[in-house]
Amino acid sequence: MSWAETTLLVVAAAIVVLALSWVRASRLDRLHRKVAASRIALDAQLVRRASAATDLATSGLLDPASSVLVADAAYAVFDAEGAAVTPEDALDMAGLGGDRERLESALSATLREALDGPQEVGELRGTLAGEAFVANLAATWYRAQLARRFHNEAVAQAQRARRHGWVRALRLAGRAPVPHTVELDDLMPAGLGAPGPGGAAQTER
Amino acid sequence: MSTTRPLRIGIVCPYSFDAPGGVQFHVRDQAQALQARGHEVSVLAPADEDQPVPDVVVPAGKAVAVRYNGSVARLTFGPRASRRVRRWIEAGGFDVLHLHEPMVPSLSMLALWLAEGPVVATFHSAQVRSRALQVAHPLLRQSLEKIAARIAVSEDARRTLVDHVGGDAIIIPNGVYLDDFERALPHPRWQGTPDAPTIGFLGRLDEPRKGLQVLTAAVPAVLERFPGARFLIAGRGDDGAAEAVAALGAQASALEFLGGISDEDKGAMLSSVDLYVAPQTGGESFGIVLVEAMAAGAGVVASDLGAFRRVLDEGAAGALFRNEDSADLARVVVASLEDREGTATRRQYAAGWCRRYDWSTVTDQVEAVYEMAVAAGEATPGRSETWLPVRALRNRGEGSES
Repeated sequence: MSWAETTLLVVAAAIVVLALSWVRASRLDRLHRKVAASRIALDAQLVRRASAATDLATSGLLDPASSVLVADAAYAVFDAEGAAVTPEDALDMAGLGGDRERLESALSATLREALDGPQEVGELRGTLAGEAFVANLAATWYRAQLARRFHNEAVAQAQRARRHGWVRALRLAGRAPVPHTVELDDLMPAGLGAPGPGGAAQTER
Repeated sequence: MSTTRPLRIGIVCPYSFDAPGGVQFHVRDQAQALQARGHEVSVLAPADEDQPVPDVVVPAGKAVAVRYNGSVARLTFGPRASRRVRRWIEAGGFDVLHLHEPMVPSLSMLALWLAEGPVVATFHSAQVRSRALQVAHPLLRQSLEKIAARIAVSEDARRTLVDHVGGDAIIIPNGVYLDDFERALPHPRWQGTPDAPTIGFLGRLDEPRKGLQVLTAAVPAVLERFPGARFLIAGRGDDGAAEAVAALGAQASALEFLGGISDEDKGAMLSSVDLYVAPQTGGESFGIVLVEAMAAGAGVVASDLGAFRRVLDEGAAGALFRNEDSADLARVVVASLEDREGTATRRQYAAGWCRRYDWSTVTDQVEAVYEMAVAAGEATPGRSETWLPVRALRNRGEGSES
């Protein structure tokens, strides 16, 4: 094989490798953006849920003990670190952070206790104001559940893409941090009238 | 409870509206429900220019009958269809695209391939794995990753998705307009008495999957305990009717064939009968008619298919019998007719339970999904403005290099 032929082959191989890397890298980049975007959406929705919980706690419709505990759990979420509002934050830290996850789970647990039983929720919903507060909490909560599912789905896709041989061999992910799923307890109270299967029966409607 | 701002929604249906089918009905009703909430909806579906379609539908060209995955389906594909999909997406300026059955090689798959903004996808079928799909998977994977939110209409559809495509989906059931059924008035001719109860059946008579033969075989045992019982059989299929009559001989007089009935009569029948029996033997992924029966206030007895068990909340909203077992069906029917109190309790529970399948509930959920998909879309950082995408990431990791 002549020198020119060898060069040609090497150049051709380099081009193929480059092209394949480019395809892989753009896919990875798209997936990372998707993770960051769903992370921001999830963050915003969890904050909305916490603020719906605060509204309910300060409405005077719950008993005083529940009011204080719900408000405390919700404020803890507001104060927690790890809120990602800009794309840079979101790309930097794909998980929600153990602390935040614990606090969100605690808010869920407190709300479940405070809204225990369909009858209690039914009574709350009896008044016009109560109906509005409870409906708002149910709506934001359901959306937070959705946002978390969608985010974790995106994370799983990104993780799969990063495991691919090419991506690892050529270190295409660079130093972009590995995305992590968000694991927290967001089971809705039985009586909240969660729309859809997995939620409660909506007998109070 | 919805606070959604009005959205521009583009819905893509892979199947032609000139053939009736679950997906088409779902798309039509969903578009209507979303429009009623003030959203701007456009539906892209296979249709000829001169074919009459609902106003909301934009025709995307003729559907062609092709052999796919072992059966013949009417699908739209090819470069002309692609161009139309592209034009529709560009002209629509949609906030969100909702694609039905994006794994079916038709319009939805094309739309997913061309889509750029937030995409929501609904998976309907519990479909078997196709070899062609596997071969094409590397091509489809990139497309599938564009989907921001995946919806399955039932647990069975979700299973299929998890097993064959990977990833998960949230479950939002098919919607049913329950109000018409809740408001339906009973028809005295179809109402029974404690001694002469009426039992209803709905479905094609000559389709074994619908299970008329299972019910027919259970008739003698029911008549033994309730000699005056009447069985109202609604649905088309003369062969099935003849078979049922032949199987019962002299007792066939207990059967009353109503033929194909209108939606209005269906509501009337379901609210008149003492029991509605659903002896389907398989192939049901959801069970809309069970929901309709619950809304109309009929006591429900159904075979214990997975889909039916879930729709009936594992038996709390209706009694279940062993699939294809006529003796067990007769036992459950007799027990339900004797235990009027228990049946009434289940009916009462069912009236509340079935609300989750009403379009108002389903639309709440779909709107929530749209909101989350749009929120994630709006948050998308720096949509590929760098010429070499990988650079954006490298920078993030290393700080100042550029």
